[in-house]
Amino acid sequence: MSSRPTFLGAVEIGTSKISVLVGEYTGRELAIIGCGECSSRGVIKGGVVDYKAASECTHSALEQAERDAGERIDHVFLAQTGGHLEGFYNEATVTVKALDNMIDAGDIRTVCDLAKSKELPTGRAVVHHIRRPFRVDGSLVSSMPENIGGQRLEVGYWTVHGQEQRLADNIHVIRGFNLEVRELVLASLAAGHMVTTPEERRHGVLVLDIGAGTTDYVLYRDGAPHTTGVVPVGGTHLTNDLSIGLRLTDGQAEKLKLRFGRASVTTKDKATKVMLDGNFAIGDRQFPQQAIEQITAARTWELLEVVKKKLGNAFSPETCAAGVVLTGGTAKLAGIADVAAKVFGVSAHLGEAPTWVSENLRDPAYHTSLGLLYYGVSSQADKSPPIRRVGGFIDGVKRLFANS
Amino acid sequence: MSKDLHIAPTARSWREIPQPVKPRAMSREGKWRRMTSVLRAMGATLVVGGVAWGLWEVTRTLQETPRKMPEAARAVAIKQLELRTDGVLDNAWLARTLALPKAVSLMELDLQSLRLRLMASGQVNAATLTKNFPDTLKVQVGERSPVARVMANWRGESRALVVARDGVVFEGVGYGAAMLATLPWLDGVKLTRTADHYQPVENMGLVAELLARARLDAEHLYQTWQVVSLARLESDGAIEVRTKPGTTVVFGVNGDFLQQLAKLDYQWEALATAPNPPRKIDLSLGREVSVSFQPLPNFNLVPHSLLKTKL
Repeated sequence: MSSRPTFLGAVEIGTSKISVLVGEYTGRELAIIGCGECSSRGVIKGGVVDYKAASECTHSALEQAERDAGERIDHVFLAQTGGHLEGFYNEATVTVKALDNMIDAGDIRTVCDLAKSKELPTGRAVVHHIRRPFRVDGSLVSSMPENIGGQRLEVGYWTVHGQEQRLADNIHVIRGFNLEVRELVLASLAAGHMVTTPEERRHGVLVLDIGAGTTDYVLYRDGAPHTTGVVPVGGTHLTNDLSIGLRLTDGQAEKLKLRFGRASVTTKDKATKVMLDGNFAIGDRQFPQQAIEQITAARTWELLEVVKKKLGNAFSPETCAAGVVLTGGTAKLAGIADVAAKVFGVSAHLGEAPTWVSENLRDPAYHTSLGLLYYGVSSQADKSPPIRRVGGFIDGVKRLFANS
Repeated sequence: MSKDLHIAPTARSWREIPQPVKPRAMSREGKWRRMTSVLRAMGATLVVGGVAWGLWEVTRTLQETPRKMPEAARAVAIKQLELRTDGVLDNAWLARTLALPKAVSLMELDLQSLRLRLMASGQVNAATLTKNFPDTLKVQVGERSPVARVMANWRGESRALVVARDGVVFEGVGYGAAMLATLPWLDGVKLTRTADHYQPVENMGLVAELLARARLDAEHLYQTWQVVSLARLESDGAIEVRTKPGTTVVFGVNGDFLQQLAKLDYQWEALATAPNPPRKIDLSLGREVSVSFQPLPNFNLVPHSLLKTKL
């Protein structure tokens, strides 16, 4: 590793805002040294629909983050979300070759290659191959199964893929700032990595990252991501419903949602009114609080139900002992954890960033960007193949130079 | 066995999406970043190159010129002027021409200006000056050889100068009087003066060739040659040679000098018994030789250059 620190950028191009964090990575430690944020334009449900507008906003956020950090970003980890992202599970089995039934590196490589060798439709590109734990003769092996005795080796991969054009659009927004995209990370994985502990992931936990345009989820089992997905519904839909139901502009509806919106109806009295602005100025109006709560609660419930339905058999309260963790901007909606607990039948709580994260970055809206940095750094560190001692000394030297 | 399994190629990854973007697709800030990156790379290359070149120069200087030498050399005056020449110039001429101040050290010398001083004499064709630390200045010169004499005004007085094969007129330092007496006089040339010297004589190459040929192959004839006139060279293509007995020999520059000399030798022998030497032998007529015995008006043996030289 070189002595010069690397300045990494974590970029989340969201529907409501674009956030950029700058991290200084020394090879051992990662410190957040800069932050930039800009209201998003040209992005709908996580996808770039107006390249120029999206580029302007993203570049503005990047510029702000670099100015805040006082350093130039070397390369970027980019969060990926949107309804075009899909996932499938594929597994493979091989019979152990060795006469003494000892699993070697070749067996592991073969089964991994087999499990990943599934063709995609034209125009689709793989974003992640997420490996689930190995199984030897049906028994789960949490670590690498090399030198373990057995006859049958199994492994499965959860493959996340998306529309190549949509992925390219996001990448080109960053390239327009003359920055290289080093890693493309699923937003749910990034957020999940930040708000859950390894213990929770081992016990099984569902992370919901509810943003403005999309809801990303990841279900962890046995310490690894089991299923991921994206629902193209988010906080904006609550705002839209309020806007239509109460005949308000989007801006007014957003204001009401943030001040009085709830995931469950707690106001019993229909006559309880709330003011739009509360300053009794011209244009300030009264609205029944129960109506606001009814609208937001119905939509929130529906959103969570959709996620549960998409998870299908992958989710069950028994395999999700650590419950549901909510994050993202819409997770700040009052009472949402209680509703999630009711919908999924397990405990639910709001995700919190680790204690070492500074106060101004503890907002759920930053969890994805924070997770991006840490997930990106750890995945870069894991880039070297899991199978060691392949090809002897010469290959080792080659790898050394390849990684430097 | 797993070894025999067919593994399909893995699906296309996002990493295969090409990332290069044309500059026109970049935002203003992106272009600025790109330009600064290029400038930084160029700057870094220049700095690295400059440092490498500097190190190389320092190493070379240290190897070729020991560091302490300049201080030592600055304090030592020149003690010896060493001249190597292929001609007749000597150390006295060198000292006179260089006119170095007393107690000057090698470090204070400007070799280029000294070289120009040497070259200005005209007699020096090439000069190389070398500082031999601590106290010796080595001078190596190549000299011009004189082929003829010419009368000219030199530094306010009329005196004989010599002319080299390439037409350069110079003072002719160090030549013995006997050697100079063997050189014929040049006549019919117009000397043009610029600054401190004369312009080279034109067409001197032809004359030098004739003289060299005569000196080598017909020395007995050459010894009788007193004046070589270039008066008709441009107009008639003829070189006139006036001999001691008073005969004028005309050589044609279009013919072979050796053949013309052979004809002259033959005629010279044939006419040896004649009561009077011929007044004119014309060898410029090709195969024919015209010999004239008709008495001519008294020929003035004083070189014309004395009369025609423009000062």
